[in-house]
Amino acid sequence: MSNLPLAWKMARRELRGGLKGFRIFFLCLLLGTAAIAAVESLSDAFLTSLRDSGQTFLGGDVSVQLVHRPAAPAEERFLQSYGRTAHTVSLQSMVYALREGRQAERELVEVKAVDGAWPLFGAPGFTPAQNLRDILHCEDDGICGAAAEQTLLDRLHARRGDLIRLGNATLRIIAVLESEPDRISTGFSLGPHILISTKALSGTALEQPGSLINYNYKVAFSPTAEKQGATIESFRADAAKSFPDANWQIRDRSDAAPGIRRFVEQVSMFLTLVGLTALGVGGVGASESVSAFLDRKRFDIAILKSLGADGRLVFLTFFLQVMTIASVALVIGAVLGASAPFLLARFYGDALPLPPALGFYPRPLLLAAGFGLLSAIAFSVPPLGRAREIPPASLLRETVSPNRGRLQPVYLLASAAAALGITGLMLALSPSPLYAGEFLGGAIVLLGLLRLVASALTWGLRRLPRPRSPLARLAMGDLTRPGAATKGVVTALGLGLTLLATITLLDRTMAAEVNESLPSRAPSFFFVDIQPDETAAFDRTIAAFKSGTDYKRTPMIRGRITSVNGVPSAQVKVDPDVKWALSGDRGITYAATPPPGTVLTSGAWWPADYQGETLISLDQEVAKGLGMKLGDRMSLNVLGRQIDGRIASLRKVDFRNGGQNFILVLSPGLIDKAPHSFLATIRVAPKDENAMYMAVTEKFPNISTVRVKDAIAQVNTLLQQLAQGIRAASLVTILAGLLVLAGTIAAGARTRLYDATVLKVVGATRLQIALVYVLEYGLLGIATGVIALGAGTLAASLIARQILDTSFVFDARAALWTVVGGGAATLLFGLFGAIAALNARPARRLRND
Amino acid sequence: MQPPLPTTKLPAIQLDAVELTLSSAAGPVNILKGVSLIVPTGQTVALTGPSGSGKSSLLMVAAGLERPSGGRIQVAGTDITNMGEDAAARFRRGRVGIVFQSFHLIPTMTALENVAVPLELNGVDDAWERARAELKAVGLGDRVEHYPGQLSGGEQQRVALARALGPRPQILFADEPTGNLDSSNGQAIADLLFGLNAERGATLFLVTHEDSLARRCQRVVRLESGRIVNDDMAAAAMAPA
Repeated sequence: MSNLPLAWKMARRELRGGLKGFRIFFLCLLLGTAAIAAVESLSDAFLTSLRDSGQTFLGGDVSVQLVHRPAAPAEERFLQSYGRTAHTVSLQSMVYALREGRQAERELVEVKAVDGAWPLFGAPGFTPAQNLRDILHCEDDGICGAAAEQTLLDRLHARRGDLIRLGNATLRIIAVLESEPDRISTGFSLGPHILISTKALSGTALEQPGSLINYNYKVAFSPTAEKQGATIESFRADAAKSFPDANWQIRDRSDAAPGIRRFVEQVSMFLTLVGLTALGVGGVGASESVSAFLDRKRFDIAILKSLGADGRLVFLTFFLQVMTIASVALVIGAVLGASAPFLLARFYGDALPLPPALGFYPRPLLLAAGFGLLSAIAFSVPPLGRAREIPPASLLRETVSPNRGRLQPVYLLASAAAALGITGLMLALSPSPLYAGEFLGGAIVLLGLLRLVASALTWGLRRLPRPRSPLARLAMGDLTRPGAATKGVVTALGLGLTLLATITLLDRTMAAEVNESLPSRAPSFFFVDIQPDETAAFDRTIAAFKSGTDYKRTPMIRGRITSVNGVPSAQVKVDPDVKWALSGDRGITYAATPPPGTVLTSGAWWPADYQGETLISLDQEVAKGLGMKLGDRMSLNVLGRQIDGRIASLRKVDFRNGGQNFILVLSPGLIDKAPHSFLATIRVAPKDENAMYMAVTEKFPNISTVRVKDAIAQVNTLLQQLAQGIRAASLVTILAGLLVLAGTIAAGARTRLYDATVLKVVGATRLQIALVYVLEYGLLGIATGVIALGAGTLAASLIARQILDTSFVFDARAALWTVVGGGAATLLFGLFGAIAALNARPARRLRND
Repeated sequence: MQPPLPTTKLPAIQLDAVELTLSSAAGPVNILKGVSLIVPTGQTVALTGPSGSGKSSLLMVAAGLERPSGGRIQVAGTDITNMGEDAAARFRRGRVGIVFQSFHLIPTMTALENVAVPLELNGVDDAWERARAELKAVGLGDRVEHYPGQLSGGEQQRVALARALGPRPQILFADEPTGNLDSSNGQAIADLLFGLNAERGATLFLVTHEDSLARRCQRVVRLESGRIVNDDMAAAAMAPA
């Protein structure tokens, strides 16, 4: 290390040149670091917001949810012993606009009924601003007030003051519901929200045994309870001990909206991976940039060596120079990234479902800088290592293709260690290491493949017969000469374009699945909460529609798997893919005979007149994920009662058909005695859809009618928003690729200028020379686009088939855009970079020679 | 293909009070200060003078590679004074050949391809055959597929000479053609230059600071500080008309 002070002294001298020769290196690092810092800062800002406002988002310190039934008095007393409580009831139902006492427009809504204590934290927002009690107040005539979202008013063509019907109750819309403090913890809902009082709900008669209703109890710990040592953990332990069969789902302020949290974590992981890809793409540019710089420094290095500098000093000098420039890029990138939450809040604050907690988050910045630094080391050490091998004899000769020297293994190892560091850091910090590993592995394999294809392309072009046209020959020569842009551009821009092509093709595949395949398989309607006493009338109503097919009406009750072979659910080792099966209440049905379309994969169905212990037919994938086989035992909690059963058969459930898919089908005998409702599905000709909708909703106001095409439209909108966001993010990698292209163009500027000058001397016009560039960059762009399309198609089809379990759809238009876009971007950049060569006066160039 | 030049006895090059001023960080630099010169068709002229006297710049403006700041330039009867860059390039095709001190070959093209380029740009049908013959004429018949990087300096200059002479130009400009070569290679190139030029009857406008080379020309013009200080016609007078 004795060389270090001297190396630093020399590096400082080199740094007088500023960014000259390092602009692309600098920009590539800055872009990647800024992207990662921005994504991670946003993620921290959102997660901090979720954590800091946990009480408000949850509506209490803890929230207890029960399905189908309200809390028993003893359970309520238990909750009240911890502090103040608020009670809300959530369900889906149809709501009707009333015109002259008759039911007019109707809509599926998410009803939230609240007691006088709600909300314990925060406040709902209304237009006009009004007191909650005043809005929900019930008049002497029995008509209670309601607040509904503007969307509902628009769909019902209703205004404030109008009457609506919900179940058996008539309500008056008093205000527009703008916000609910605990809305974020309720997650996805099919219809617009309407807020009423629990008193109003009791008038609707929608609370029927077996109806799909969620009862929520929010608890704000009292200071007394906290003094006595009440904590979230003690509450959970106490609740489990006092009411082991309550089957309540308890959430707490530390994780108020786990769905949102997981979404933020997953999206930020994906975007960080995209940022890393941008760093990888930029790394290719950084490496080329450092190589080009060192090629220009060949003579300086040879002079230094002839004056007595050893290879180590040479390496250290330029390493320190490169790292100093990298550090400046990292700091600026981190600062830009840190400003992302502020910019987002400033420009899109109103559109965000969750306000980011604005602040300075050091973790994301350190992480981004760490990734940036490691990537700078990984990509710059090999060319720096080669530079130290430049012999002093280089002073005596100059070749068209300078020998960059042999690389000592230690530099290769250092570079590999830095790359491993990036991978390790990402895997260690990722919420889904497997997924992150697959992404990174895929990107590395792809990078290698693209490099290989680029080499093959250069090799192939070299072996093609030489074109007779001098301009075509020059273009071919430009593509294949040592130091040509071909390898860098195909690899770097190709990686970005591949990502874009993969995302675009997956987006199209998903869109085709949701808009074409699913509607062709899925039913037209779901009817939820059909009461046992109205099944006959409901069946008759449906039967009146002759175009109806695949009618299925199935008993349904919600329940939870509490143990598997005697092991409590929380302790069961479960495949992450089926974790959902244990995480909450699931729909359960019963049947004496196999429902139509049942495909048993093992075991046998119970006899139609079976009367013994409860037998279970379980989805084979869930069974596999839970490690269960025929004969194993499972316990379920339904309405607070334990039902123990034995696995009698395994079934193949096709979740892609969009119909009724129960993972658990039980034998009758016990479950059918529990209060329950029915779920029905039917396919009907499009021309009859509206008539069926009107007939059912008119006769059965308590039944929730879900139009599948509406749900599909909603899913479609979400998918499109997600795809747009991801596509926008992938543009960062394209930008990095274009930077690499700009770098190679800049590196080749001298050669291009020389060639243009010689051509002009021998009589070529600027148009003819421009044609050379059109040919060169057009060919390069199209080749990159085609390669990216091939790789993207392969990646998308693998993801579609292996991960999304759907058939891959190749969209020719999207494919064409990738090729054309790649070609056009390359061509434009190339031509832009070549303007200088076109406009240079030959005499100037010749005079400077 | 360019139309043949008229056979009238027009001067090959006629410069009238040509000036060239270039801008620099330190201010404008007057390189040529009213140079007038007439070079009859078929004459061999050596332009000599110290470094920085403006020799190469005079060659550039005469070859249409640089537009003068003042004066008038006629080459082969055509006024090229105000020609645009592309028009000048088209004009050079088939009429003007240039050989540089630094060869200026295109490194990604073989010797054959380099020589063929101006012929192809000029629309010559048998460009490759002609190029092959030119290379043979300069003694490189066996190196046609070699790239410039694979050739010695002398060989590269022969390729450059073949490229310049390939389109059978009326005027051949040569800027220090032996400046980068050792004496034996320089001698060989000079022999080729004068030999082939005499054989084809082109006007030769040669920039050199080598007396031995200058003495082989019919006329020696000396330039100093952008002005012609001596125009030795004695050689020309001795030369055959």
